[in-house]
Amino acid sequence: MEEGEKDESEGGVWSWGAGTDGQLGTTILEDEHFPKLLHQPLLSSVSSLACGGAHVIALTSAGKVLSWGRGNSGQLGHGEVVSNALYPKALTSLDDSFITHVAAGWSHSAFVSGLDFSAVSLSAVFLKRISVESDYTGCVFTCGDGSFGQLGHGDYASHSSPVKVSCFIDQHVAKVACGMRHSLVLLKGHCSGADCPGNQVYGFGSGKRGQLGVNIDRVKSVNVPRLVSGFEGEEIVEIAANGDHSAAVSVDGHVYTWGRGFKGFDDAHTPQCLNSTLNFTKIALGWNHALTMSGEGEVYMLGGNHPGVLGDPQNTKSEKHLPFSMHSGDQKRQPKCRTNRLREFVKKDSNMTALEFEDFREANLEKVPGLDGMKITDIASGAEHSFLFSEHGEIKTWGWGEHGQLGLGNTSDQISPVTVSLGYDLNEAASIRVFCGSGFTFALGSGSELPVAVYRMESQESSTYFGIHDALCWKAMCSAPKAPPKFDNYEGM
Amino acid sequence: MSYDDVEIEDMEWNEELQAYTYPCPCGDLFQITKEDLKLGEEIARCPSCSLYITVIYNIEDFLADSDKNRQNKGLQPVAVA
Repeated sequence: MEEGEKDESEGGVWSWGAGTDGQLGTTILEDEHFPKLLHQPLLSSVSSLACGGAHVIALTSAGKVLSWGRGNSGQLGHGEVVSNALYPKALTSLDDSFITHVAAGWSHSAFVSGLDFSAVSLSAVFLKRISVESDYTGCVFTCGDGSFGQLGHGDYASHSSPVKVSCFIDQHVAKVACGMRHSLVLLKGHCSGADCPGNQVYGFGSGKRGQLGVNIDRVKSVNVPRLVSGFEGEEIVEIAANGDHSAAVSVDGHVYTWGRGFKGFDDAHTPQCLNSTLNFTKIALGWNHALTMSGEGEVYMLGGNHPGVLGDPQNTKSEKHLPFSMHSGDQKRQPKCRTNRLREFVKKDSNMTALEFEDFREANLEKVPGLDGMKITDIASGAEHSFLFSEHGEIKTWGWGEHGQLGLGNTSDQISPVTVSLGYDLNEAASIRVFCGSGFTFALGSGSELPVAVYRMESQESSTYFGIHDALCWKAMCSAPKAPPKFDNYEGM
Repeated sequence: MSYDDVEIEDMEWNEELQAYTYPCPCGDLFQITKEDLKLGEEIARCPSCSLYITVIYNIEDFLADSDKNRQNKGLQPVAVA
């Protein structure tokens, strides 16, 4: 396919769910119960999205940022406090930077710059190669509500334009994650063979539920980034934050969670390794649950269905049949596991009876049922809803549906995964990624597995193509044994 | 069923709404006014959805708040010239 002839059905952006603050980008303040294809020319180059409480931060293949939705705390970054923005608008204040990663919390936003254009000559960007070691800056900018210290600037001030977090100016930041009132930052380790110290994670903002992971003792809040302790030398490649939860995934496939305890468990003030032999590659957090995906494409859930949502009196009939709520009839059960260490229970057979579930009520990690061996390639979590994407292009959802955030055309809750249609027959090669905000959902289609912004890494052995957003690829780059790898940007600038 | 139990100190005072608020998973805010709290109301509702939370607070703190002679209670010393 010729460049510029992108088929809309493959490269489209869809949204649905709560539209009370314009977060759907539909230019109206209304909920959508079906996936709605957005006809915004500005969105055609979007390569990734971050959905917050009621705002959206979009990253384009050219490293530019767009935002829309609620802006009453300055979280849109346009330099003004507005109740909401109905149309995607470019963040011009970040024009000097090539943004590689974005995150959205309840009412704050964060941006990782991969390259500072003001520090690199344009000819180097367009014609020559960019040396990762010397030119990749990886700074973090934050904006929005800072009243819990979640912007990391050493105070509790809010900002309506992105401000560089000074703590990371001399560091190489890989990723950032924003929860309700806290933020996490993942640094790219300065790997040099066997002497790799492992990537470091920092936390700042509200720490009341332990979500910062910086101290065993209760920390109300911190307004400067503090090192998260307890990874025991593991190399972290993924971080996640939502609600009062935090999580990280190591290169060896270990999942760590900290912060507010999932149903039946105490809060954890330092990262707790999920006791499992599975090799996990990704974790997605809600406000009361977590999804984690294994390298084999299986998906497990922590926390089960939250009683406040799916245990609502109007849903009690279905609650009795919750396929993955292990102790739905025993909400006040005290945690027996004093160490907070979440134990694994792998359900071998999804047809277990309710009685058998009772026998395993201590279990906390449950395999998402009803997938019939379907290989899952991506997961996403909103506050109280979940999405899966299969290798055959099927999108599955379940959870709270009051605002239509499941995209099924109604406002019903779903207790087990059901298929969502975007209303298009997707090309075999098309890849859909789903991004969830608090009560809304976005789907982003692209023609291939890779993000649109593709870089070529030249090593002495071979040329490898990879997306700059992929932490695992960063790792591959870090461990490249010879001369510092060079980037040759050939697309999307 | 209450979505969550939230301590009043974790709620934020919103001048515009004249209410204590806490994030609702639908994207809006759970809200409860000082008047509600003085009456012993402990449910904060979200105007956009069916969810509500239980607010954990000490009613005396709010009854005292309306007391014009607060400084006489001796709880918070007030500098007097």
